[in-house]
Amino acid sequence: MTAPFASCVRAGMRIPLFLLPVSAAIAQTEPSALQWLQRIYAATEKLSYSGTFVYQQGQQVETSRITHVVEASGPRERLETLDGVPREIIRTGDEVVCYLPASSTVKIDKQPGRRPFPAILSEQLKDVSENYTIRKGEIERVGGYSCQVLALEPKDRMRYGHRLWADLSTGMLLKAKTFDEKNELLEQFAFTQIKIGGHIGRDQLKARYFRKSRDWRVEDSGAKRANLAEAGWTIRSSPAGFRTVAELMRTMGGIGGVGHIVLSDGLAAISVFIEPATSKQPAPQPGLLRQGAINVYMRPVGSYWVTVVGEAPAESVKYIADAVEYRK
Amino acid sequence: MKEKLSAMIDGELQSDSLHTHLGRLRADPELRGAWDTYHLIGDALRGQISPAIADRVAARLREEPTVLAPRPEKSRSRRLGWYAMSAAASVAAVAFVVWTASPGWRAESQLAGGQDAVATGAAVTLVSTAVPAGIENYLLAHRPYSHTSAMQGIAPYGRSVFVEHEVAGK
Repeated sequence: MTAPFASCVRAGMRIPLFLLPVSAAIAQTEPSALQWLQRIYAATEKLSYSGTFVYQQGQQVETSRITHVVEASGPRERLETLDGVPREIIRTGDEVVCYLPASSTVKIDKQPGRRPFPAILSEQLKDVSENYTIRKGEIERVGGYSCQVLALEPKDRMRYGHRLWADLSTGMLLKAKTFDEKNELLEQFAFTQIKIGGHIGRDQLKARYFRKSRDWRVEDSGAKRANLAEAGWTIRSSPAGFRTVAELMRTMGGIGGVGHIVLSDGLAAISVFIEPATSKQPAPQPGLLRQGAINVYMRPVGSYWVTVVGEAPAESVKYIADAVEYRK
Repeated sequence: MKEKLSAMIDGELQSDSLHTHLGRLRADPELRGAWDTYHLIGDALRGQISPAIADRVAARLREEPTVLAPRPEKSRSRRLGWYAMSAAASVAAVAFVVWTASPGWRAESQLAGGQDAVATGAAVTLVSTAVPAGIENYLLAHRPYSHTSAMQGIAPYGRSVFVEHEVAGK
């Protein structure tokens, strides 16, 4: 299924079977724009590439190098920051390992129950087309590649707008901008140099800190699927278009039994973390923090702390935080 | 350097020059003394050291008004925050530690309790400025579910570097 899917997408052919539920939505909006979004998701997953990109947010710019190789055993990905504090991240399948030399720490995280790639797409695209208006824009050049511009305009104020630049021939996302409710730029991501396809040496995927990290502290999230509703936690109501997509239990910063609920509108995700207040010493103060497109809102609920994190407007993040309830 | 220190307090330095000046801070024993003092104060106010030390440190801080004098700021919300801090020197010291520890993070005063609240009470200033130490843990756990991961692979994991660094270095 996966190989024909990839080739269909690459050739821009008709919609594969598993995407049928989406075809109605496609017919209503601009079909080719939604198909472009599909191409981007597929390219991220299926292509081998290696390049350098920047993240810019306000006056802060960070450069990193990324290598993504698809092998018979699955994709393997390596990222290394080039500015500031060194940090290396390796992803193999659904496991992510972060090497943080500044604190001599290795953080390991897994995404349990993650639906395999194309299966997750049809639902996601349906949600996206319900919550955003997707339009095809001009052809513009990024990193030496001609790109199709896509605009995703939010249908209400509970989510951000996006502008995407995808390589015409492969669908690879080469640039992305996020805009707030006033249509002001929040942050952007862009490749400054990228090689798509061709031979990518295996040495580019080697974890540089693998040996050094032997005596480092290891923090494993031990993330497992969980039923938090059963444990008494509910989200009374969520902003229009957001629904729960995952419920987990994990260890964070050495504290076990942290509940994690993920809500999504097909594009933007908002995470709700619930942990015993005793794990927070000294206790944080309730309130909101922002970094680029990410808002974080913390508040106490009984003897627990609720922390909500998401690439969504403060309004949405706070709405969800305020709707978290414990009933037993 | 005192002037630069002041600029750092105001959050006016870009990360490049911030790192340079942090380097000088580390090299200069006198400045480092001041730097250490601020950390002590931060700890004291978070209740992590004995009250006796906190009193002594607070007294020393009162003798050093220059370091904590706020400079003109362009950002309205931030200025409100810093004015509140200059009214209470000890609070400014905590905010100094926290703010320089995590450039890129902004407190949102409107939703964190309203601008009035920020201007009137020291406690509220702390509310809106303090970056929780474990913030990068939340970001790491959240990332795989974000659309940015679906479209950019692990690229977003390279962010929030500064937070990680300074928390570790404390």
